[in-house]
Amino acid sequence: MRRLDELVAPVVLVVAAALLGSLASISNQTYFTDTLVKVSIVVALYVFIGNSGVLSFGHISFVALGAWTAGVLTVPPSEKPAIMPNLAEFLLHRHVGNVTSLALAAVVGGIAAFVVGIPLMRLSGLAAGIATFAVLEITYNLLQYEERIGPGLNAFSSVPETTGLRQAAIGAVVCIVVAFVYARSRFGRLLRATREDDAAARAVGASVYRQRLIAFTVSGLLAGLAGGLYVHLLPVNVNSVHLDLTFLTLAMLVVGGSGSLLGAVVGTLAVSAIDSWLAVAENGTSVFGLNLDLPAGTAEIVVGVMMAAVLILRPSGLTGGRELRLRGRIAWRGSASRAPA
Amino acid sequence: MTLAILNIDWQTLADGLALGAIYALMAVGIGLVFGVLRLVNFAYGQLVMAGAFALALASQWGWPVWAGIVLCFAVVLALSVAMEHLVFRPLRGHSPAVMLVATFAVAFLLQSIALLWFGSLGKIATSLASLNRPWTLSGVDIRKITIVAVIVAALCLLLLHLLLERTEVGLHMRAASMDFSTSRMLGVRANRVISFAVLISGALAAVVAVMLTVQTPLVTPDFALRDTIVVLAGVVVGGLNRPIPATLGGFTIGFATGVLGGALPTNQSQYLPTFVFVAVILVLLVRPRGLFDFSRSVERV
Amino acid sequence: MTLTVGNLDVRYGGVHAVRDLSFTVAPGEIVGLIGPNGAGKSSTLHAIMGLAPASGSVRLGDRELLGLRPEDVARSGIALVPEGRRIYAELTVEENLRLGLAGRRSRAAVDLDPVYELFPIVREFRARQAGALSGGQQQQLAIARALVAEPDVLLLDEPSLGLAPSVVDVVFAALEAIKGRGFAVLLVEQRAQRTVAASNRSHVLGGGALQLTLGPGDAGDTEKLVAAYLS
Repeated sequence: MRRLDELVAPVVLVVAAALLGSLASISNQTYFTDTLVKVSIVVALYVFIGNSGVLSFGHISFVALGAWTAGVLTVPPSEKPAIMPNLAEFLLHRHVGNVTSLALAAVVGGIAAFVVGIPLMRLSGLAAGIATFAVLEITYNLLQYEERIGPGLNAFSSVPETTGLRQAAIGAVVCIVVAFVYARSRFGRLLRATREDDAAARAVGASVYRQRLIAFTVSGLLAGLAGGLYVHLLPVNVNSVHLDLTFLTLAMLVVGGSGSLLGAVVGTLAVSAIDSWLAVAENGTSVFGLNLDLPAGTAEIVVGVMMAAVLILRPSGLTGGRELRLRGRIAWRGSASRAPA
Repeated sequence: MTLAILNIDWQTLADGLALGAIYALMAVGIGLVFGVLRLVNFAYGQLVMAGAFALALASQWGWPVWAGIVLCFAVVLALSVAMEHLVFRPLRGHSPAVMLVATFAVAFLLQSIALLWFGSLGKIATSLASLNRPWTLSGVDIRKITIVAVIVAALCLLLLHLLLERTEVGLHMRAASMDFSTSRMLGVRANRVISFAVLISGALAAVVAVMLTVQTPLVTPDFALRDTIVVLAGVVVGGLNRPIPATLGGFTIGFATGVLGGALPTNQSQYLPTFVFVAVILVLLVRPRGLFDFSRSVERV
Repeated sequence: MTLTVGNLDVRYGGVHAVRDLSFTVAPGEIVGLIGPNGAGKSSTLHAIMGLAPASGSVRLGDRELLGLRPEDVARSGIALVPEGRRIYAELTVEENLRLGLAGRRSRAAVDLDPVYELFPIVREFRARQAGALSGGQQQQLAIARALVAEPDVLLLDEPSLGLAPSVVDVVFAALEAIKGRGFAVLLVEQRAQRTVAASNRSHVLGGGALQLTLGPGDAGDTEKLVAAYLS
């Protein structure tokens, strides 16, 4: 593990964001916490999309399943009948602690990704994009109406709000470390080799399918964990883990550059900063003495323009798919700069 | 009067036909652009949404019906052309996946703009509401719009067929969607063919906007979003690359959703999207070129 | 009009595919371009068609073609019979033929008869799907498709590739028939001997550069041909 420095920059950024957040007012702290949870989600996306070069619209499914798992298991049993009247018997009295719920969320996310990946990892390109989108829609549809396993259309209220700055930061760092270790492992390197050159990878005996399935599972695991963190942050409902979140997290990955871990983190922080600032501005704020009162919805428009502009003008993202390395001096190491292909 | 076995009444069947017809038009609109650009336009539904808002505004201003429809076409066509020049052309040659994400971004952008302008409550398009009244045919009540939708869709498809089969630009479009680079070497002007496909696709979106607003007069920023997702599924199931399979796919999924949605009890019909998308995944795995594409070319989606 | 290629260079990234190549093709002439694989023959054609990054000049009469888009090159009077024929298998034979009209400059009424006379097989099967034709028939269709554009210059990229020897005869017979109709024909081929025999001049390329020019009289001179390939 010589290239530990590729791990340093993303972790430093996350810690810096957390420290900055701890200085902010209580009301603004939520933005930082939310951003750190999104770092986990986007890093999960990166593990699959970044290493395989295959598109996925389906990852928010695993975030949703993680949120459902952690949520159902941590709502106080006395309040379960109120928000989840049709909950299945075996879930009604189960209750676990914060950390256990997060671990279980990760496990459920990982298992779901593995099961879904068995058929889907045979696809690539457009077919993969559409099939993973179908997974998102199926999950959305089932969680919406399957009231035996969750609140259906209701929100997960009364889940203990244990995801503060500290837990969100720890979660993000865990995701980054896992992503780093995976990318540096034999599996990660083989998968990236298949991204560069399918034929060459087959020639050295790498099974594209198996490598993609491993990446998908790892990435589902992290997405599940992120979902657990998310439900402990705010009352998640089925619409908060659907198209909007899919769009926002993909935008973050694309803007940062899907080819690198650093890109995933930088993209999340950059888009979140703009998004949060605009969200504040929508409620009226003053900048350099100027009163600014942007109409509601400006943030989405700006993020949309950013994402489209980056895709059209610079498909490799802001960081161009490079990892920042510290070796005596700061050097940009060119790796393959490619958008999800 | 009912079809006793399936517990489907004629009204439901007619609604299914109408929905199938509208979805078929959307499917062709998406398929035409895919043919020449290899681009799945996720933002197609937002074109319909824009047209629907145009109709709503026109009826709010008290414009006559024909003026509203003209405005609808103008808005949708202008937006299509803008999309082509600002998004599609710069994206040409990128991988299909990048283009899909990019149009996904455009879809969200347009929806956010609509949210900003019109708010989440939306506006009501009332000028064609009279088409919702029923005609009574031998004891069966059928809303006029279902008949209008089927006739309009059939006419549009017929016109499109004639255009593709009988005109020079139609031949060029077909050739370009089979082998773009060879057609350019023969002198087929790429930009002209693309612009043409985008315009026809836009015109179809405008037609769809008119018919959907009759059925759903309340126009919100997410108008036609669910429909687009379902149609995309249908187009993939039918076969993305060719107009006829795409049309069949769109029609089938619209008809099935319409009929099953009307005939099944709610506790079953609410899971319809799950069945639809499981079917999409199965088709992608088993027949990547689509159920209705029987051509021999080897190209995959 | 005469096609004049002057000091043409083609580079793909680090690969220098064509080096400083100059030649002309006058109306009524057939000029052959031969040489081993990778000699730069196809790259030259691609450069003329605007499909490859090139420098130098490619002129038709006085008009510079380099830098034009492929469709605009085609519409300037250059018709290509591409390698592998590139017939639209799902369109009918006649539709394939009509696609060739996309590059036609004249606004006069279309008359397909001269082309049908040259290739009776194309007329006979005009209502069939082009994919149902045999390889040789498809090659005739591809040449016919190029001719309906009434071009000044006809480019043929490996027209005999993958065809049975008896069918190759048909292709060269077609070339013979075209000859003298006023087209400037540039023929890229692997079959050196036949090309040299059929052409007014044949340029032998090697490593992207012009090595040698042969006349029709050299077709029987096997030693000279072999030497040209090995140079």
